[in-house]
Amino acid sequence: MTSSKLDLLQGTLDMMVLQTLTAMGSLHGYGIARRIEQVSGDKVFLNQGTIYASLVRLQQRGWISSEWGVSSNNRKAKFYSITKKGRKQLSEDAVNWQRLASVMSRVLGMQEEGGE
Amino acid sequence: MIDRLRQFFYRVTSVFRRERLDHELDAELATHLELAIEENLQRGLSAEEARRQALIRFGGKQQAIEQHREARGLPGLEILFQDLRYAVRALFKNPGFTIAVVITLALGIAVNATMFSMVSAFLLRRPVVHEPDRVAVVTSINVGRGFLPDTNPVSAPNYFAWREANSVFSDVSAADEGRTASLTAQGKPEALASAAVSSNYFNVLGVAAQLGRTFSEGEDQPGRDHIVVLSHELWERRYGSNSSVIGSTIRLNRENYVVIGVMPATFHLLGFTPHLWTPLTLTAADRAASARKDRALYVFARLKPGVTVEQARVEISNLARRSEQDFPETEKGWGTAVRTLPDFLVYAFGIRNGLAVMMTAVGFVLMMACANVAGLLLARATGRQEELGIRIALGAGRFRIIRQLLTEGLLNALLGGAVALVLAWWGINFIGTKMTFNEAISAVPLSLDRNVLLFVLGVSVLSAVLCSLAPALRASRTDISTILKAESRAASAGRSHSRLRTVLVTGEIALALFLLIGSGLLIHGIYLLEHQDLGFQPDHLLTAAVTLDSAHYKDAAQQTSFVRYITSRLQNIPGAGAVAVASDLPATGPASVTVQIKGEPDLPANQALTSRAVVVSADYFSAAEIPVVHGRTFTETDNATASPVVVVNQEFVHRLLHDQEPLGKQIRLSVSGPAPKWCEIVGVVANVKNYSEGPDEDPAVFEAFLQRPVASFSIMVRAKTDPNSLASDLRNAIEQADPELPLDRVMSMTSVIELQKGGDVLFVRMLGIFALLALLFAAIGIYGLIAYSVGQRTHEIGIRVALGAGSRQVLRMVLLEGLKMTAIGAAVGLALALPLPKVFGAMFIGINFVEPGIYCIVPLAIVAVSVLATYIPARRAASVDPTIALRNS
Repeated sequence: MTSSKLDLLQGTLDMMVLQTLTAMGSLHGYGIARRIEQVSGDKVFLNQGTIYASLVRLQQRGWISSEWGVSSNNRKAKFYSITKKGRKQLSEDAVNWQRLASVMSRVLGMQEEGGE
Repeated sequence: MIDRLRQFFYRVTSVFRRERLDHELDAELATHLELAIEENLQRGLSAEEARRQALIRFGGKQQAIEQHREARGLPGLEILFQDLRYAVRALFKNPGFTIAVVITLALGIAVNATMFSMVSAFLLRRPVVHEPDRVAVVTSINVGRGFLPDTNPVSAPNYFAWREANSVFSDVSAADEGRTASLTAQGKPEALASAAVSSNYFNVLGVAAQLGRTFSEGEDQPGRDHIVVLSHELWERRYGSNSSVIGSTIRLNRENYVVIGVMPATFHLLGFTPHLWTPLTLTAADRAASARKDRALYVFARLKPGVTVEQARVEISNLARRSEQDFPETEKGWGTAVRTLPDFLVYAFGIRNGLAVMMTAVGFVLMMACANVAGLLLARATGRQEELGIRIALGAGRFRIIRQLLTEGLLNALLGGAVALVLAWWGINFIGTKMTFNEAISAVPLSLDRNVLLFVLGVSVLSAVLCSLAPALRASRTDISTILKAESRAASAGRSHSRLRTVLVTGEIALALFLLIGSGLLIHGIYLLEHQDLGFQPDHLLTAAVTLDSAHYKDAAQQTSFVRYITSRLQNIPGAGAVAVASDLPATGPASVTVQIKGEPDLPANQALTSRAVVVSADYFSAAEIPVVHGRTFTETDNATASPVVVVNQEFVHRLLHDQEPLGKQIRLSVSGPAPKWCEIVGVVANVKNYSEGPDEDPAVFEAFLQRPVASFSIMVRAKTDPNSLASDLRNAIEQADPELPLDRVMSMTSVIELQKGGDVLFVRMLGIFALLALLFAAIGIYGLIAYSVGQRTHEIGIRVALGAGSRQVLRMVLLEGLKMTAIGAAVGLALALPLPKVFGAMFIGINFVEPGIYCIVPLAIVAVSVLATYIPARRAASVDPTIALRNS
């Protein structure tokens, strides 16, 4: 079952978190993790716990900020939101990522042609 | 960059906010799980299943926390804190061990720090001038060789020629450093070291006055040159740091000088730091060819931008070759040397070799201290094997174990370094108070400066690595399965440990032997020198230095009449014997001149005959009690109108006259002043050492004061009782003769000699301390190793005794073990020490270092100490009671 799921590349989780926060606004850790799972159609193999290391990293870089609040069902939770600097970073990373993805698909395509 | 810094800052601070951050994370994760469980419940799962699913999706909770902490803080820093906490606990748990380690390291580091403070003060302190490396110092290389022959001053004609013709310097200045000025203040004349410098001297160096100004252009012209710049020290001492001294008139060499400036206290050029500076006036006469013999100027020049010292060296040597072609008579054989200012000052100070030997010696002492501590740590590592075994079993990696042991070593070494700083502070003060033998040396303050502090830190870290790396590597290789099985402990654990320890102790013995032989040779060589027969009688001789200034004593007649008057006056003092004056006191290194012998062919300049030359008054030989061997000495009739005569020493007859009959031979000396005349040898006296602290006896020629008077001389009064009791009579006599004439260095001849060799006494004492420390460390090392190995082998010895070994056999076995190491170590050390006499001979010229006795005594002493150190634990081993020994293990 796990083999059909994607292992995350280094750094991609950070991007996913940033994108999620851009789309959803302020969100707590569980919310972010669930959202990523839902959007990926449960294709990403994510130990939800790993999200917290990513969150502290992003916060140290000043890309997201956090504050304690109360969740929809009245629980005390830490809410994260993306900062201006984080948005800038995300747009840069997204461009890079798309370039890499297009190059990768071309490279992989070439390999198939060569195989024939 | 700023982001990086900010991130780093977050990480560091989170190490210290660990508890609160952990608490927050716990709360966050708890909320996470609750939210997940809630969602699962809403999806219709049972309470238990909802919780299970939530936990599965979350993954390992502990892992998440660890990941979070790693991302949050600095894992390296956290481990360091952990190790430090642990190390501090270990330190307190075993105070005896800690004290032994800390004291050993502290002693080793302290002697190094103390010596290094001298290196820092003399070699590392940069002169406080503008870009000191761009200042070049040009000197002559003496044909006559002698001590530091390449630091001779330059003649005025050469200074002018090179200043005008060179293309490498942007500005060239000259300083006549060795002048004596008499400063009269409050009716008291005082002789001071002064320098006459060209008006651009301070500009070339790029230093400004602290108060007032320095010389400006044109002030080196006669008429404008009665101005003076004071050193900070003189300003403080004589003028109470009063700034109103600027513009005031002071009495210098009987003339009025206006004080124009005071230099800052930081302006200090080792041996080239006089008390005051006056302008150097050079006239047309100083450009004449006859002035070429007078080499008195040190040339300080600033290099043009982009020009290297090497280029300057080539240029100046080309210019020197040109003057050698034009004036072969005076220039032949003389070379030139160009050095940067910092390099020149240190070189001319001549302290490098002594410091190098001392630093090597203390370096060895530190190595021995480290070997001892490594031995101690190894011994303890064996005791801690169980603890380390458990840590390894719990998953500590090899690197982690090494890291922890190194942290402990570092903590020990830093504690040792801290204690060493206290000891070094004391040591530096001690040496500082002992270094009064030389004004230039005592003027350089020793202190625990930044260099020394950095050095102590560096040495502490180095010794931490040196002494804990081997034990740490060894311990990290611990095999847990054997360690944790208690019964295997007694059998073979420590086998390889003891091998490493044996190597350490053997090395230590070798080092100790090397160090003891080295210090022994030096101490012996210096002792011989101190107790040599100087060739004259220094006891009961009072001396004082006088410089007759040209203002009041314009010509030779006035100089001789002063000397005539003062000698006859002094002879009438009750308790005074023979009285004489001499240009140099005996055994204080008189200058060399070249000698021509009538009837022999002229030799090329570089093979010219040289001899030391002293100008003396008639009673010199009887005052100094130098035996007359042949002919006569001077009388009052050997005066300016009589035909010139000289007296030579036996070495002169032997080396220069090849033992021919000397009386009646005519010689000519290349002395400065009017054209030298042929002089007849009328007498031969016994040899006197060149220096009280050296064995050399050069040829020497004595001229009669009445025939060639000099302005600077020493007075010698032979006393029937304590020479110092005549000092006040001497002062009174001079004051009555000339109230403005300063009398300098009034002291007994024995004090003159003491001062002259003061450095050696200190040198010998310090070496003695180092050697004793080395012996002590070696003894502790041997004792520690044998005691430890006996402790480890109690079980084995118990079995031996139970099987019938007598206590004598056990004693012999343990003693042999110690002796074996001693023998190997001593052999290695002896082999290393064999070339030492040659090495020292090249470094300290003129001292006799050949003393085979030291090569016998030192190894015997080492063997004796190690037998003693072995005997104590061996006795304990011999008295092992087998029943107790076997039960214990």
